[in-house]
Amino acid sequence: MVESMDKRLTFKRLACGAFVSVLLVWVLSAGLTGSFDLQNEAYAQTGGAVPGKTLGNKSDADIWRQMRQGQSFNLSGTAIGTPVLIQSPGEEWRSLRNGPLSYWGGLLMLVSLIACIGFFLVYGRIKIEGGRSGKNIPRFSQAERWSHWFAASLFILLSVTGLFVMFGRYAISPIIGKEAWAVVASACLEAHNLLGPLFVVALVILLIIYMKDNVWQKGDLSWVFKGAFFSDPPPPSWKYNLAEKSWYWLLFFAGLAISGSGLVLDFPWIAERVQQLQLAHLIHGGAAVVLIAASLGHIYLGTIGVEGALEGMTQGTVDENWADEHHGWWAKQVMGSTETDIDGSEQVAARDEMPAE
Amino acid sequence: MFLDFVEGPLWVVACVVFIAGALWRIVGIVRFGRRPDISIPRASALVGAIKGQFLHFVPHGGFSFRTRYHLIAGYMFHLGLFVLLVYAAPHVLFLKENVVGFDWVALPRWGFILSAEFAFAGLILLWIRRISDPVMIKISDWDDHVASWLTFITMLTGCLALQESHDSLRAIHMLFVDLWLIYFPFSRLMHAVTFVFSRGYTGAFFGRRGVVP
Repeated sequence: MVESMDKRLTFKRLACGAFVSVLLVWVLSAGLTGSFDLQNEAYAQTGGAVPGKTLGNKSDADIWRQMRQGQSFNLSGTAIGTPVLIQSPGEEWRSLRNGPLSYWGGLLMLVSLIACIGFFLVYGRIKIEGGRSGKNIPRFSQAERWSHWFAASLFILLSVTGLFVMFGRYAISPIIGKEAWAVVASACLEAHNLLGPLFVVALVILLIIYMKDNVWQKGDLSWVFKGAFFSDPPPPSWKYNLAEKSWYWLLFFAGLAISGSGLVLDFPWIAERVQQLQLAHLIHGGAAVVLIAASLGHIYLGTIGVEGALEGMTQGTVDENWADEHHGWWAKQVMGSTETDIDGSEQVAARDEMPAE
Repeated sequence: MFLDFVEGPLWVVACVVFIAGALWRIVGIVRFGRRPDISIPRASALVGAIKGQFLHFVPHGGFSFRTRYHLIAGYMFHLGLFVLLVYAAPHVLFLKENVVGFDWVALPRWGFILSAEFAFAGLILLWIRRISDPVMIKISDWDDHVASWLTFITMLTGCLALQESHDSLRAIHMLFVDLWLIYFPFSRLMHAVTFVFSRGYTGAFFGRRGVVP
């Protein structure tokens, strides 16, 4: 008896619950459609804000699916033509940019930095073995130095601002807060966009000026086989050794890739589709981290890593002994040239047999 | 708050120092006078002085190769900066509201950006020459470097504020504008004014002797 009463009570409760639920759904639906008979079109659709209207006020899943898949729609009555409303590949681009590109790019630069520090700790500063001779020979012309520093100064400014934009949200934002980071990011982006085109000009001038001496020559590989930087004394080489030539060609290809993609990003109307901008962005970021990582080695060897190297780029001349030790074949060439007004030292003339060019 | 300060009291102080300091320097130069010229006048010194103002805008033909680099870089910087300063829309608005009370036609954004590109390129190239040319290294002192860097930072902070969406960036730019104005009269930045006197003096000196200055 008691059991059957419990069952009836439970049934009543269920029935009441179901009725209230149906009532609630109906009231909500009526509110959304604006009509108690649920036959009217939804407000949004009567307003024309939802594209399509193919299925009336019923579920428009097909349209949303098409949108999600990147199909374009003709938005009649608007000035924007047939836009893609949801750009799904953007999610792939975002995850690539914030994922592997940031991770591996950051790691590459870190490894490069650690390698420079490690090299310095193991080998210290590479001194001029024979000491300074007191006699200098010309290494870089004014045009070479000016084009180098012009490109270098812009490269540094763009690297700093670019790295801020790329890694700032992970490295800086947690420290200074999101609002302050928004200010820094805006500043960096504006500077990057403004100075970028100048770098393109500087890079092209630099590549043209330096190309002649960076073409591979016979003897370049022997510099590597004889121990490169790790040999004491360093093996002879032409004006630039194979590492320097590789840096040039990396700059050539990666630099032009950065420049081309950067121009597309700076002037986005060049691109026909947004995917092209995303691709340009990935190329830009990828090439930039490679170039920045390599530039750390270049900067290290050109400044504190090798005694006497920097003055070539600041004053235009290098010590004869430095030239002989690091670029023996080139030194012999320069000192043997009748066009230079310097005295060739005997030791240089007697040293390393030069391979045919 | 900081923006109010750099665009308010500090801006007024900077303008007063700029104008008073520049006038003080000009009066000082004029008061130097010049030694009596006892040469026989063969032509008009005044005409020579006027000629000198214009002829020195381009280098003497014999020096065209050696002066090409800083001639181009110099014009890029000075013209770029002038256009930027006078015709950039935010500057036109600021000058209208704070200095002259009227406005004029501003450059479109692309023109503004282009002039900034020229100004930046010119300034960087000139500074590189200053630190790498054997003669320039010897005749440059800390004043030249401070003036170059202060100008560069002022331009750079302006470039950082290009989006015009953060007051803090505008305030930083204005701070450096104020510092630049204060530094101007007491440094070689004064060459923006004194070049007229030096060209005039040289022009008059040679003009009186019948030589093209």
